[in-house]
Amino acid sequence: MRVDEFRQGLRNWLDHHDLTPPPDDSLDAQVAQLNRVRGALWAAGWMRYGWPPRVGGLGGSGALRAVLGEEVASRSLAEPGIWSMVEVLVPTVVDYAPPTLAAELVPRLLAGREQWCQGFSEPGSGSDLASLSTRAVPDGDAWVVSGQKVWTSLAQYAARCVLLARTGGPGHAGISAFLVDMDHPGITVRPLRTMHGVDEFAEVFFDDVRVPAHRMLGGPGDGWQLAMDLLPHERSTCFWHRIAHLYATLDRLLADGCEADADALGAAWLDLHTVRCRSASTQRSLAAGGRLGPETSVDKILLATAEQRLFDTARDLLPGAVELAEDAAWRTGYLYSRAASIYGGTAEIQRNIVARRLLGLGKE
Amino acid sequence: MDTAERDLLEEALRKTMTAAATGASLDTALADLGWTQMLAEAPDTAVPLVFRLLGETGTQAAVLNDVVLRAAGRPVGGTLPLPYAGGTWVVWARDGATEASALDPLLPLRRVGTGEAVPLAAGRRALGWWLLGTGHAMLDLAREHVLERHQFGRPLASFQALRHRLAEAHVALEGAEAALGATDDDTGALLAKAAAGRAALTTARHCQQALGGIGFTAEHPLHRHVKRALVLDGLLGSTRELTREAGALLLRERRTRRLVDL
Repeated sequence: MRVDEFRQGLRNWLDHHDLTPPPDDSLDAQVAQLNRVRGALWAAGWMRYGWPPRVGGLGGSGALRAVLGEEVASRSLAEPGIWSMVEVLVPTVVDYAPPTLAAELVPRLLAGREQWCQGFSEPGSGSDLASLSTRAVPDGDAWVVSGQKVWTSLAQYAARCVLLARTGGPGHAGISAFLVDMDHPGITVRPLRTMHGVDEFAEVFFDDVRVPAHRMLGGPGDGWQLAMDLLPHERSTCFWHRIAHLYATLDRLLADGCEADADALGAAWLDLHTVRCRSASTQRSLAAGGRLGPETSVDKILLATAEQRLFDTARDLLPGAVELAEDAAWRTGYLYSRAASIYGGTAEIQRNIVARRLLGLGKE
Repeated sequence: MDTAERDLLEEALRKTMTAAATGASLDTALADLGWTQMLAEAPDTAVPLVFRLLGETGTQAAVLNDVVLRAAGRPVGGTLPLPYAGGTWVVWARDGATEASALDPLLPLRRVGTGEAVPLAAGRRALGWWLLGTGHAMLDLAREHVLERHQFGRPLASFQALRHRLAEAHVALEGAEAALGATDDDTGALLAKAAAGRAALTTARHCQQALGGIGFTAEHPLHRHVKRALVLDGLLGSTRELTREAGALLLRERRTRRLVDL
């Protein structure tokens, strides 16, 4: 299906199917709404485009998923962060899991019947992910996993976890990936309290958890490559969703009667326009068969900068909306935007990549 | 124009511009290369190519006149008053004998009392490409410098503070280039010129710092690009003015235009 045809059909469908979220901004309600929207879009077919037929999809380019997420974000039907998680989880499982496993499990996630989570970061391994120390030791027809993960979004709701663990020696080559059922004995989830008041992230503890051998994604040592393969998805479709959400946020700022500061509003728009143009160009090269590499750090820096400027502008032009208003929307959004230069690779790591890989400045 | 033809043209243009031709003699050289015909028949290729190369090579020609004249439906080859920041007007002379602008002595700009409104989108787009090229010229100079110069027994390029500044400049230039690819309408051209002006000024600031003392001397070429960026930024609306205009449009329409789609 062509992208514009898809967009038009989808808009028309959404105009006639009310998926407005309930006036409850608790995380439980957000997750329930996410499942509701996914379920409806899966049943109507929209959620299947851009995914391969072997996991229940209807095929077509990833741009269709970008457009779907854009419409969902523009209409504020689901929280964009948790909406976009499928973009990093599904391609991983489609590419690395045994085909029957992927065919069985992926439709449950896409149809909103399950949540999944991603167990990558650890207390001792944030920016330096390759130093992770969660271990998986072979034992008969299983791997026994021990260690701790952190910043695991939606772990408390998740049925499965895409987990990175060390099966070999130190460094990239010793890392393997698994698709772990979260109801195994030995898994403990503890939600983190965050500064923006939405306990979306959790710590996950693995105490001698037996994971069947056929749940390894790829082969031993393929974990780092799997993690790297996520990046093009995160930095194309996911970013497009986030940008759509930020445009909707700027519209909301105008609708909420902000101060008429043309300089500040223009600067916020200029940032959004710039990152939207950049992301569109990145996705065009991906669609043309290009491989995405270090140049997506530019997209990441532009996006984090645009998001933080937008919420800084909102705080300036709606005085008190962040600090005093009863309605938590601006407060939550403002506080969450502080993390935009931290998650997904910090602003500093991105600049290191630009300097080393794009400008050829050699080692530090 | 296909890719091979475009590459050949770029090669020819670059050669002409680096053969020390600038000003009126470059105008003549561009005319010999078929500038007028290019502008008429393939402006979407010719304008980005010519203006970006003016920036990269640090040369100048009066071709902005032609872009604006053509957009106004007037014959090319002459001059016309062009709006400058602060509600002032300038003329970009073609005779090579005019006094130079105060800041960038190589640009034959002079103030005039007033002018008449002309369509600005095409000119803003052209200037955006020029500013982008100027930005890349500065970044190349800074990059070369930090790789070559050693202090404390190691190259400047190994210091993270400088690496991050140059990374910042690169990101700004890449963002501006993306915006310059979305200039089908007036608003797109306005935002693209603002993005390019901002990127050039950001790049000027970081590169000037990375070059240290040598970048402040007139012996090093950086200063010419810095001055050019400052002057071009003011032409047909400065970054600050264009950003404000974009904000005023938001306040009027109460909805943010999505100018590009997948």
